[in-house]
Amino acid sequence: MRSPAVPGSRQALLALPGALWLLTFAVLPLGFLVVMSFWTTTIFGLSTEFTLDNYATIFSDSVYLTILAKTIRMALITTVLTLLFSYPVAYFLAGLSGRSKAVCLLLLFMPFWSSYVVRTFLWLPMLGRNGLLNTLLMKIGAIDEPIDVLLFSEGTVHLGLIYVYSLFMILPIYLSLDRLDQRLIEAAADLGAGPFNTFRRIVLPLSMPGVLSGSVMVFLLACGAYVTPQLLGGTAGVMFGNIIAAQYLNTNNWPLGAALSVVLVLVVLAGMFLVGRKAKMEEIFVGGQH
Amino acid sequence: MSDAVLQAGTRPARSFAWPRAERLRKGLLCAYAGLFFLFLYAPIGLLLVLSVNDSEVIGLPFKGTTSRWYAYVLTTPELIRALANSFALGFVSAGIATAIALMMAMGFRREFPLKGLLMKIVLLPILIPGIVGSAVFLVFFGYLEIPFGLWTTALMVHITWALPFAFLTIFPRLHGFDRGLEEAAMDLGATPIVVFRRILLPIIRPGIVATFLFAFTLSFDEFVRTFLVIGTQRTIPVHLWTLIIDQMAPFLPAVGVVIMAVSVSVSLIGFALTPKEK
Repeated sequence: MRSPAVPGSRQALLALPGALWLLTFAVLPLGFLVVMSFWTTTIFGLSTEFTLDNYATIFSDSVYLTILAKTIRMALITTVLTLLFSYPVAYFLAGLSGRSKAVCLLLLFMPFWSSYVVRTFLWLPMLGRNGLLNTLLMKIGAIDEPIDVLLFSEGTVHLGLIYVYSLFMILPIYLSLDRLDQRLIEAAADLGAGPFNTFRRIVLPLSMPGVLSGSVMVFLLACGAYVTPQLLGGTAGVMFGNIIAAQYLNTNNWPLGAALSVVLVLVVLAGMFLVGRKAKMEEIFVGGQH
Repeated sequence: MSDAVLQAGTRPARSFAWPRAERLRKGLLCAYAGLFFLFLYAPIGLLLVLSVNDSEVIGLPFKGTTSRWYAYVLTTPELIRALANSFALGFVSAGIATAIALMMAMGFRREFPLKGLLMKIVLLPILIPGIVGSAVFLVFFGYLEIPFGLWTTALMVHITWALPFAFLTIFPRLHGFDRGLEEAAMDLGATPIVVFRRILLPIIRPGIVATFLFAFTLSFDEFVRTFLVIGTQRTIPVHLWTLIIDQMAPFLPAVGVVIMAVSVSVSLIGFALTPKEK
């Protein structure tokens, strides 16, 4: 007979510290940020009177709107480029087996196991005036003088973001391709489908969940980028995250920074709900360790 | 179906109907993957080269090998302090986050009210963009007048950041655990504590260690959520950031290599300890 004395309700209490921690340090501070976005800052300090002033400022000042639009556009471009670059890599990995697969996966993970500040900083000596690319271009005679356009542009930010976040695209696509039943492909071939049709009609649709999760994840990360545009973007590559940081680092306008943060979170949430409903998010976040 | 899933990982795609197209596809795919790995590793290779470059500016040409930048990094008090801070903070926050996550994962094996909602709230610290997360904590701790510092605000931020990842890593391991073993022990008169220590813990210990190491690297590498709330103290990524913004000092590549070496080796240990599913 099975004992009914398995610690049922009491074991559930073990979730309490975690729940309390998350309430105190995730839900409550976020709620407070939303509240503060309706406050204002005056020369006497914070005014806690409810007002929509900050949102009025954001949606009437073309500077904020332009950078918001630019950030969404850059995040979309980054997502599409990352998807295009990553899909073949995921496809390649899924086609491997045994030892070579393990080695390639490990090689893929390793760069992403280190700090993103370092991984962004890497591109300064790659693209700078006396960097690797300028040196190579001068050696093969493509240019006579070092060129500056490689750094501090929108394109550099895209490059940096792809470099830092492509694992979050490759991994979910790889996982969905890896689960794919190979007999489906063989069946398609037996029935006379060419490689292109097999890919378009079978492989691609079945890997869509991975494509969706990866795209949502990269879009989300790119929207909130701060380090990459700050280090690689110069003035041309300023993104919304830099505007938010400026409210805390330079102008000391906490309520406006709060309102800008709320706007960014709403954009990210909207992006998630538009495409991400089908995506299995939990799978991606812990991917680095599996 | 289930054995097909098992096979999918071990069997390469094989299609006899179009051998030539298959060869071409394979060749192109390999070449492309090679280029991608070059894209991943070339900048890292350059960083390694520059970290031993005997030159006062970061960049090429290569002027000969020197170990003075590493010597500088490992003898400069601010850099050593920042490194030590990162190690200590990573150790403590990973320990606390892993403990909370383990308890929470055990609680999640039973049903309780609002469980579904809590599962969503767990994802909150990950879903909030980093810079917003930073602003959230700055405003919250600032308004409450909690003094900014390594062991106050930064510790709380790092635990909150690592907790969801720790939970999501540990939860599947506990979830798939055969409850029959525990029930058998209970039938034989073991108390819940004994069941945990003698049955659950030995089996999931590798998972706990891997989770701890994962949480450690998350904390060790964390920058954007930390830099607004750490006050005048420095973790190594925050210190590297201030150095990059200040001036491009020639020892920066060596700092970068040291940070990478720590997180990559800790991750490798965690990876080796993670039980493989296939």
